[in-house]
Parts: sequence; C-alpha cells; structure tokens
Amino acid sequence: MMNLLAIFEQSAISVWVRETPSILAFPFILFLHTLGLAMLAGISVGLDVWLLGAKSRPPRALLVGVYRIMWIGFGINLLSGLALLAAYPAKALTNWVFFLKLALVAAALWVLEQTKGELLVATGAGTGTVNTRARQLAAVSILLWCGAIFAGRLLAYTHSILLASEGF
Amino acid sequence: MDGLIEWIFGAARHSGVDALIDWILGTKLSWFVTTYGSVWPILESLHFCSLTVLAGTVGLFDLRVLGLAKGIAPSTLHATLPWGVGGFVVSAITGVMFISGMPDQYFYNDAFKFKVVFLLLMGLNAGLFYWREFAHLRTLGPHDDAPRSAKWVAGASLLFLVAVMYCGRMLTFYRPAF
Repeated sequence: MMNLLAIFEQSAISVWVRETPSILAFPFILFLHTLGLAMLAGISVGLDVWLLGAKSRPPRALLVGVYRIMWIGFGINLLSGLALLAAYPAKALTNWVFFLKLALVAAALWVLEQTKGELLVATGAGTGTVNTRARQLAAVSILLWCGAIFAGRLLAYTHSILLASEGF
Repeated sequence: MDGLIEWIFGAARHSGVDALIDWILGTKLSWFVTTYGSVWPILESLHFCSLTVLAGTVGLFDLRVLGLAKGIAPSTLHATLPWGVGGFVVSAITGVMFISGMPDQYFYNDAFKFKVVFLLLMGLNAGLFYWREFAHLRTLGPHDDAPRSAKWVAGASLLFLVAVMYCGRMLTFYRPAF
C-alpha cells in the first residue's frame, strides 16, 4: 500500500497541489474546504439551532433553498477534500482519525436527510409543529458536526507519516 | 529625508510592537497555551466549531434577507442570532489565546492584519444593520421581500464573513520567516 501511495504522490495532480508555490494552489484549496464547511456544516447547524427553538415547521420552499446551498457546500468540500487527499494521501490514509472524520461526516449527512424527511412528512412542511424526533435529530446533528470538525483539525496533529515517498 | 523619517518611525513602531510581544509572551495565558501540547489543537477545534455556528446562524439570516430562503419571517430566524453571538465570543476568546501563544506570528502577518480589518468591517456592518434596518425587518412577514438597503447590508455581511475565513486560512502561508 505504501508503495502505491508513494507512486501516487509523484503524479501530476499530487505534485501540483502540494508543491505549486501559488497562493491559488494548496492555500486556496484549503480555503475552499473551509468555505464548504461553512456552507454545509454551518448552515446545517444554523437550521438545527433554529429547529431546537422553533414552534412550527419550516416551509418547503425554505428547506429546498437551504438544502441546495448545503449540497453545493458538500460538493465544494468533496472536491477540495479530494485535492487535499491527493496532495498528502499517506498522511490521511494511515491515520485512523481521518476515517473517524469521514464516518462522522457521513453520519451527519444521514441525519441531515432524516431531518428533512421528518420535516416534510405527514402534514407537510410549513404546517404542524416541530416534533420531538426532529429536535433530537437537530441536537445529534450539532454534536456530529462538532465531532467531524474536531477530527478534521486533529488530523494535522495525529498523523505519523507525511509522505510515503519520503520513507516511513 | 523621507527615508530617514520612515526609518525613525518604522523603528519606533517596531519597537512598540516588540515590547507588546515581549509583554504578551510573559503572561500566564501565553505560558498555558504553549506549555501543554494538547491546548493548541483543542483551541483550533473550538475556533472552527464556533466559526461554524457563527457562519450558520448569521449566514442563514443573511440568506433570508437576501430572499434566498423565503417562507419564514426574518424575525423568526433572528432568534437564532444569540447562538451566533456565542460563536463569535468563543472565536474571539480562542483567537486571543492563539495570539498569546505566538504574538510575533500574528502581529507581523499581513493576512492577520486584513483579518482584523474585515472583522472590524463586520462589526460596523452589524451596527449599521441594527441602526438602520432591523426595526423595519422585524415587521416583515414570512413571504415579504426585504428592502434593497437591507439586502446590501446582508450581502456585505456574507462577503465580510467569507473574507474573514479567507484571511484566517491564509495566516499559515503569510507567517513571518522567524
């Protein structure tokens, strides 16, 4: 596996992201990852916070608009995340915290969809009250996103290998 | 002559900043942040979590004012802003702790200077919002359009928020080489 990672680290995309001195390469990709985080996790947490104190369900138009922004954020995060992974594949793939982060993000996305389903079912969006399950999902969502952010930040401090091609 | 004045005042300015840096490095807060290895990663995680709460609550409200998330009264979404204020407070506290740990890495960093400028602009913009726009916005119904002036303020709020995030991310890449 390390040999494969070492070969990949010499690929054009990996070298470009990692070694291009331009501010538009690695630094800008890192910024895009933060922007995607704000659009996905940020808006999701904003919606969760609102649901925890809301009396009536949000209307369908609001949910559609907000979820569209969150999925655009997810797209930005996925692409920028793949680019960051391409730059230092061994750093991430040999660290269990990276997989914990992915698991927490996947769980948060699942909860996000469950929340949407919960708000749109039965009487439909915009009518009725926010039920207990929707509030529970909102609370779990906040915890999962915080966990994913913690895991993401800890990646920088918990890796044992930076580059497979530099020996390990 | 200009060069001499710049040299004198530049030196004075630097010596003032250096004195401040020396003072900060002598505080117990600086000792705490730099002595324990786990403090910095935890602070970073808290900084990002609080940024997420701030961006989410303020962003959602701004999007509603801009008309992108209609169907709910702006005053209803405004109820989440205390969480955003809480996020800002945690961000500010953790930010001050970062500076206390490595003040020279911030005070001589252009990205940090721009970040502070955009934070001030964010604050001024928020003040403008409550001074000129909020009284009218709180009367709007779920499907009412916000006035054009309020949309400008909301758009500026989002722009400054993204600029703060951008400058924050660039801190690492504009660190002074010492």
